[in-house]
Amino acid sequence: MPDVEMKDITMRWGNVIAAEDVNLKIQDGEYVTILGPSGCGKTTLVRIIAGILKQTKGGVYIDGKNMADVPTEERDIGYVFQNIALFPHLDVMENVSYGPRVRDVKKPEWERISHKYLELVKLLDKMKMFPSELCGGEQQKVSLARALSTGARLLLLDEPLSALDARVRVDLRYELRRLVKSLGLTTLHVTHDQEEAMSVSDRIVLMRSGRIVESDTPETMYMRPKSIFAAYFIGETNLLEGSIKKTDAAATTVELRDGTLIEVATTDFREGDPVVISVRPEYVYPAVAGIHAIVSSVTFVGTHFRIVAVADSDDKVEFDVPATVEREYNKGDDVNLTIDKRSAIVYARTPGELGEATKLE
Amino acid sequence: MKRTERLVNFVSGRKFRKSWYAFIIAFFLIFVILPTVYVLTYTYTQWNAIQSNVLDNKETVDMILGAIAASFEIAAIVTIIDFVVGLPMAWMLVRKKFRGKNLLDTLIDMPLAVPTAALGFSSAIFWAATPSAMNAPPFALGAITSPMLLIILLHIVFSYPYMVRSLAAILEQIDETYEIAGQTLGASKLTAVRTITLPLFRAGLVTGIILCFSRSLSETGGTMIALSTMANSAGFNTGPTLIGTWKKLSGSNPELIPQLAFVSILLIIIALVLLVILKLVVMKVRLPMGKIWPTPEKILSRGLVPKMKDGFTVLFLAFFILIPSFFIFSFVATSSAAVGDWGPFLNSLGYSFAIAAIVTVIDLALGIPLALYISRNPSKKISHSLDILVNVPLIVPTAALGFSLGQFWTDQSLIPSVPTLLIILAHVAFTYPLVVRNVTGAMEEIDPSYEETARTLGAKPIQGFRRVLYPMIKSSILAGSIMAFTRSLGETGATQAVVSDVVTAPVYIVQLVNTNQYYLAGLACIILIIVSYAAMLLLRYLTRRKQGAL
Repeated sequence: MPDVEMKDITMRWGNVIAAEDVNLKIQDGEYVTILGPSGCGKTTLVRIIAGILKQTKGGVYIDGKNMADVPTEERDIGYVFQNIALFPHLDVMENVSYGPRVRDVKKPEWERISHKYLELVKLLDKMKMFPSELCGGEQQKVSLARALSTGARLLLLDEPLSALDARVRVDLRYELRRLVKSLGLTTLHVTHDQEEAMSVSDRIVLMRSGRIVESDTPETMYMRPKSIFAAYFIGETNLLEGSIKKTDAAATTVELRDGTLIEVATTDFREGDPVVISVRPEYVYPAVAGIHAIVSSVTFVGTHFRIVAVADSDDKVEFDVPATVEREYNKGDDVNLTIDKRSAIVYARTPGELGEATKLE
Repeated sequence: MKRTERLVNFVSGRKFRKSWYAFIIAFFLIFVILPTVYVLTYTYTQWNAIQSNVLDNKETVDMILGAIAASFEIAAIVTIIDFVVGLPMAWMLVRKKFRGKNLLDTLIDMPLAVPTAALGFSSAIFWAATPSAMNAPPFALGAITSPMLLIILLHIVFSYPYMVRSLAAILEQIDETYEIAGQTLGASKLTAVRTITLPLFRAGLVTGIILCFSRSLSETGGTMIALSTMANSAGFNTGPTLIGTWKKLSGSNPELIPQLAFVSILLIIIALVLLVILKLVVMKVRLPMGKIWPTPEKILSRGLVPKMKDGFTVLFLAFFILIPSFFIFSFVATSSAAVGDWGPFLNSLGYSFAIAAIVTVIDLALGIPLALYISRNPSKKISHSLDILVNVPLIVPTAALGFSLGQFWTDQSLIPSVPTLLIILAHVAFTYPLVVRNVTGAMEEIDPSYEETARTLGAKPIQGFRRVLYPMIKSSILAGSIMAFTRSLGETGATQAVVSDVVTAPVYIVQLVNTNQYYLAGLACIILIIVSYAAMLLLRYLTRRKQGAL
């Protein structure tokens, strides 16, 4: 049963650093997602684990064994590619049976194995078709069956759903987790889609510019992110700049740039500290008093209206109102907003850091 | 301003464009295709003569069949060897990163810059046992006494770059992910390459095979020179050299025409049949995945074997391609200088250049429109059949093509049979496809939406071509025209077969060798090499700059 450990992995291409001092341990049977904006080095990491790339420094251990001299084909992994990469000249059955056959499994046995995994992804009836005759979702399912048919206990998924249509992507997400969990595999899934990461994984590893920023369960990562970057990248959030006005055991009060005072749950900051409040749109409500703002746009999203307003403190605030609400919002309207005290998180603010933290590339 | 506008409007008019394209296609059919295969009608019109002069004469039949069999055997062996040694080289160039890769890349193309007449002389001095009058340098190998083996070695030299280039081109387009996917599934490197990459490779393989095979089949000048350079070629002939020899004699002996026709017909028919087989059959056959031998293939994938393979590949390039190509320099350097009359050679060189220049201009003016027509025709059927027809003059041996074309124009007496005009027409016939294929290839890579965008912005088709398309296909046009130019410059077979008494530079070199003036022949070769190489460098310089700009 495999666990995977990366120790001090660094990957350089000339002057470009794709990964730097990455340490990550994945437990046996765990479903871990590496999440991050494009170019953050996440695909580089799985490719290093698979042995497709050779790291500049550091070591990969699968099941405690150093992989330094083990070529890709002997690492016993299943790998699903973003561009699907089904062999175009082989039919579905030949694609799925490729793994067992190159491992010298004899005919009745590889037929049985391929049937089993095609059955699992419910595509047994298409086994004589060629990849080009299948739609995107089916192709990726075949590619998953192909990766599983090697009997590998470690599955590496490199942006497996990004080439697919929105609807198929969502359906396949649940299918993926169900399959992987029922087979008890250790899985490392790479994606830039935070919603996907939250709905499939046991644990999310957030990466940025070649480094791991944070690692936690999806719930914690969403509810109590430890960094502004995590708060901003996972889900949506409003960032309000200010400084600590007063703090005691009961609550902390933050003064925004226009002097508006906001009370949040108590923090360890001291009076005068520059801070940023992060509060998700779903915890911002219209009220009779509170932060005064002017509506700058109203967008109908279906289940609700998304309203963007600019507060007197110059901070942009987004919030949602149900489509059924009596009051009608228009551009230019005055609104007063309050926030949920327990859901707001306060971060230290260093000059210029906010722009840096919210830069995605 | 008004006048150019009116002109643009005129050439953009439906009527003009229709008749322009009709003209282009008519030109292609009447001046290129028809003369190329004209001699086939002799099987009908001249059958009696062929019957009495050739078929009833067992000795002649044996000679013809022997020469043709030799031609195809040589072409087949050369193609197979090219593939076996060309594939690892293409692989190194595309998939591997190493120091000196650019140098290797340039070295591969070197033999392309050398006209085959010079190559033939150069390799023969290096490989073959030569007559003592020749004074080959002491470090020449001088070991080959079999004419067949010598010709095979020679043909490998000039066909190898074609194979490597076509394989590399297609390899570049095959996504490496497939191979990596195979490896993640547990296949060793060799297994993955054999079961996945190679089957995806067929298109490039077919192009490579057609190019090598037809080049080897056509080659006349180099082959003739190599045969007359070696000590004892004992009446060995290939199809094209037979045509060259007989055509020369046919001036005084018109009895030889049926024999010439018969050789040409056989060469053309067999070549076309092979083209059809390759194009239609090979592409449709689905290779089964076949057997897999995991353990031996794993052993071959790692450790010393791949390193030895790469080492052998580079050694092959050096020893079998580069040294024979440029051995002529050491020959000239070690020979005692001979005084000769340079007048005839310089005349022939000037003549060759004039022919090559005229031919290239005609190719460009009439080839680019055909390429546009093929690549942008909404009817797949028409463009597909034109595309196949374009390949015909490429695969037909040029000596047979030259003979057929000469007969066509003299039989029909539609044009005055001026030797220079006939030579130009013959050279146009086999270089025209080079321009068309290069430009068609580039056009197929270009998304038609660029032109459509230009049209929506109000550009007339001709303006769209000039401002949008032309800049994008410029380098392919250049590549095509330089290929056409150097091919015309180096051609011997077609020239000899169309008119027997005109002396172009390669024909002149053949004559020098035949009359044992080796030193002068060597110097003439070197001049030809330098001139062609300058053209080649120009091509590399211009195309590289284009890549940089992209």
